[in-house]
Amino acid sequence: MVSSSQKPSLCTNMAAPGRHVGHYIQRNTQFLRNNFEQLWSHRSFGWSPALRQQAADVNKESTDAFVIPRKKTWSKEAVLEALASTVGRDPTAHPYYFQDDPYLSPRTSSEFRLYSLSQESGRSAAKYFVDSNPKFFTKDFAEPHIPCLMPETVSLLLEEMSEEALKERISLRKVTAAVDMYDQLLQAGTAVSVETTHELLDLICLYCDRDPVQEGGAQAEDTEESAEEARRRKGRFRRPSDRLRFTWRENSNAERIFNLLPERDTRCYSALIRGMVKHGAYAKAFSMYTDMLNNRVTADVHAFNALMLAAPDVRDKYNERWDLIAELLNQMSQQKVQPNLLTFNSVLKALRRCGYLGKTQALQTLNEMKAMGIAPSLASFDHVLAVFSKSASSGQGNTNILHDVMSELAGSSFTCQDPDDVLFFSSAMRICLDQKDVELGYKVQSLVEQGENWRLLGDSYQQSIYYGRFFNLLCMLEHIDVVLKWYRRLIPSLYYPNPQGLRDLLQALDTDGRLDLLPTIWKDIRSLGHDNKSDLVEELLTLMARDRHSPEVQEAFAVCALDVKTAFSADRGRLSLEWSNASLSHITSLLLRANNTQQAWEMLQLFKSKNRVPEEGLLEDFLSACRSDGSADRAVELVQLSAAFCLSATPRLANQTLAQFDVTAEQRAVLSELEATGEPSVNSG
Amino acid sequence: MYRFIFRTVCTARHSSASVFESCVFTAKCDKSAALVLRVANGSGVKALSTSSVRFCEKKDDGANSHQVEKTNTDKDAEPTETPTVVTQKAEDDCNITKMAEHKEEEPAVLKTDEGGTTQRQVDVEIEQVVAKSKQVKTGAAKSGKESLLDLLGAMKVEVTSKRKLKNLIVKPSYESTPKSKPAAMESTISMFQKATAEASSQRETLDPELVAAASAAASTLPDRSQAESELLRQLRQHETITEAQKTGDVNNLGVIIADMKVGKNPNRQNARPANQIRFDDDGRGYTHDRGITAELDGVRRRRNLFTGKRLNVFSPTTDEDGVESTVARPTLWDVDFANQLSLSTNQKPRNGLEEMIQWTKEGKLWQYPVNNEVGLEEEAGVPFHEHIFLEKHLEEGFPRQGPVRHFMELVVAGLSRNPFLTVQQKREHVSWFRDYFHQKEEVLKEADVYLN
Repeated sequence: MVSSSQKPSLCTNMAAPGRHVGHYIQRNTQFLRNNFEQLWSHRSFGWSPALRQQAADVNKESTDAFVIPRKKTWSKEAVLEALASTVGRDPTAHPYYFQDDPYLSPRTSSEFRLYSLSQESGRSAAKYFVDSNPKFFTKDFAEPHIPCLMPETVSLLLEEMSEEALKERISLRKVTAAVDMYDQLLQAGTAVSVETTHELLDLICLYCDRDPVQEGGAQAEDTEESAEEARRRKGRFRRPSDRLRFTWRENSNAERIFNLLPERDTRCYSALIRGMVKHGAYAKAFSMYTDMLNNRVTADVHAFNALMLAAPDVRDKYNERWDLIAELLNQMSQQKVQPNLLTFNSVLKALRRCGYLGKTQALQTLNEMKAMGIAPSLASFDHVLAVFSKSASSGQGNTNILHDVMSELAGSSFTCQDPDDVLFFSSAMRICLDQKDVELGYKVQSLVEQGENWRLLGDSYQQSIYYGRFFNLLCMLEHIDVVLKWYRRLIPSLYYPNPQGLRDLLQALDTDGRLDLLPTIWKDIRSLGHDNKSDLVEELLTLMARDRHSPEVQEAFAVCALDVKTAFSADRGRLSLEWSNASLSHITSLLLRANNTQQAWEMLQLFKSKNRVPEEGLLEDFLSACRSDGSADRAVELVQLSAAFCLSATPRLANQTLAQFDVTAEQRAVLSELEATGEPSVNSG
Repeated sequence: MYRFIFRTVCTARHSSASVFESCVFTAKCDKSAALVLRVANGSGVKALSTSSVRFCEKKDDGANSHQVEKTNTDKDAEPTETPTVVTQKAEDDCNITKMAEHKEEEPAVLKTDEGGTTQRQVDVEIEQVVAKSKQVKTGAAKSGKESLLDLLGAMKVEVTSKRKLKNLIVKPSYESTPKSKPAAMESTISMFQKATAEASSQRETLDPELVAAASAAASTLPDRSQAESELLRQLRQHETITEAQKTGDVNNLGVIIADMKVGKNPNRQNARPANQIRFDDDGRGYTHDRGITAELDGVRRRRNLFTGKRLNVFSPTTDEDGVESTVARPTLWDVDFANQLSLSTNQKPRNGLEEMIQWTKEGKLWQYPVNNEVGLEEEAGVPFHEHIFLEKHLEEGFPRQGPVRHFMELVVAGLSRNPFLTVQQKREHVSWFRDYFHQKEEVLKEADVYLN
């Protein structure tokens, strides 16, 4: 069928040659169409809809005045987007950007991080090399010319002292060089235009009077990084985007240049205020604001946004903080400054630190946004959730607000409007997890799957937090079949579970009595690289050894146990497992239950070499296994082994062996001796 | 034939659609499904339970209709109508016995699940009904009328007892149930099917069968989720008590409660069991027990986030200032902000096509041909009529008529169909001819073909 979007272009082609043709065509097509419809009405014709459409267009044209239709513009990516929307996700495949090189397919989260970071850094290195050596890359292969494949100019070309040179330094973001050039210009008495001064102030304030860290450039000193900043960052992944944060220096170049200015307008003040807030000089920002008010200069929306963010830091009490925010908002409206989304997001973010006041004010702020016709972004909702989850000690209002938010958001798809947008999903899932609400969790997940929303899950770290919480929730509350369905969908294409996540899965298997799946889970544990986490491995062994199962399952468990054993002995240059008493005896008893006596005997030897002592119950189990095999030699050896461990059960074992096995005279003598030697110790003990 | 008679009678007396349906159903049941049902009696499979449920739904109407029919026939007693009435009665008889058997089966299903005393009471009554229906069966040939009356009486008793039971368990009034019946029926039947299918897997807490049955019962009620949770709570109490009595230690409730599966919802119903103990196994401490208020949360009107007060600081005006600032050149701050946004989102491509989109955006890839003008970047700003209508270039420098004019018109027509030349090239082409003919003007005039 001809889609409606094609209609205008079709019309263009039709209408262009002149309308006098139209009548004939119309008549002809009408005639043709009627014929065809009579004859072939029961068949679907490939081109009959197109005919009909032409006729319709011509009809319209002949009646109305001739209007050249508007040209239909397509976005460059339209076809590609349509094609991309047909491609589904393959849950068994690795992420696309690792598919070039199968050797570099990540299996664990650390590998994932390593490979993706190295990919990024490889790109940056190449870019740096090309940009810093433009003389080697002069040949232009592409026809037509593709500008972004050519090296960019990163070095300064203009050496003489002029405003042009200053502009160049600003556009290349050479902060110190720009400041030097500005000073030289001032000393020479050359006037610098207002526009350039604004840009210079912006540059200095944004980068806090330091050169930004260029690729491969001189590493900036991080001595001034505040202790609090470091603490906040600790435990987080260091993202490549993380810049070193600087604190605002007293009497920096920005303030010096600002004070030298003969005329200070809104934009100068705004740059200063934004820079001060960005770099932690909150009180200074407010004094700058009062200075601005005294000079009867109005602020712009960006300055207000910055001040809102800083408000909780300059007041101690909750109500004082809110009063300050409200005062700022009122001043905004007095100065006829229209707020934007970031204004309200800043207010909501500040409300997170306003304690009990947050709940009511946050809702009122949301309503204010609605009244202003500003659609809240995910960050707004994230702040609202945080406000409610903090103050709601009863645990009631918390889910309710998430319910409300989710019913508000269901089915919509978002674009990123605020850097904090990416925090929404993981915090929403945290609330679901805290409240143990699977239904709500599913709602959040379906919102993630909506459209392009998955991009708002944030970087891989945020994403793993989100999926970790979701999986944890499922393991806790869902039926095991559903858990496994999600397990296969998420792992490992989207999420590499941590040992805790796998332990949750084991517990879910245990609760629903599907322990027979343990061997497959163990395989996954191995491939995820968690086979060196001793508590996880021991939990797995405990679960396998706890109950007796059907022979087939026991057989599978025994194979799995042998595999676990190799994990202990494997030396892959990383922290390997230590044999514990429990794990040794679990593996032994698993092997025994599968009638794998030989392997079990080897396990018993391991006890000795690892300086562990087997439990008596295990030896008795072993003895009964020997009995079913009818191997008297093995039984005698077992008793001797037990004697070597100085177990108190030795005489009893010897006694049983004597009674139940067909032993030779020599063995009988040994056994009787063991039986006899044990007795006094038993009696005395 | 029976069916036909039955139908006519019914339609004549009660035009209500639901009654009609129930009658048809029972008639059908009698005609075809009777054998199947009898066979099924022993094994107790889906068909039986579904039909019993359906019967359960219909029994009120059925009983009423029978009663009304009876009174009517008593009153009329016309000789012409008696034959049909007799057959009708026989028919009814059969139906009733069949119903009774269904009845018998239904409690059997329920009985296996529940140990409740109320249920037992119902069982006893139903057994009475069954006994009576047996009686009826034997004596149906001679005294159909009286036995039918008895039976109907028994049925009514049974119905009321059933009603009582329902009232015992759920608070909402029974009067409103028939309204929601048709909608609820399907789910009810499927519940029973599910229940029989899952009968093998016994759970630690409540039987899924039992839960399904409870939810089936609840689904007939208007307030489904609340009723179901209350049912479940009731059942759970029964279970704990019987369990405790079985072990002979009523004080041992704690052990039983500990045995109950914690925090798991065995079936995926929307209502959460109200008094389920939800202990955090992740060490986050106790969450608050969601009492009756939490249940009401599901039912209560969703509070809209945007219906409260507002700050009343700003007035929603579309100022020109805002528009102006967006038009202005992006400052360094804006660039930085955009960069921050793109870094915070996940921009990694998921497949080859998305990677191509990314490259297209970055300008690394030639754009995908989305129309037939790709590669015509220099012509992008030229409208099509500049290409097509070239006659205006013939206005000056060419004769108005004659062979040259004719030739040039042909040239222009050819050019207008050439997509491979730019407008500038077409103009140059025309002007080349203009110059050419100017140069040859003398020759042409001599030949008398240059007319101006």
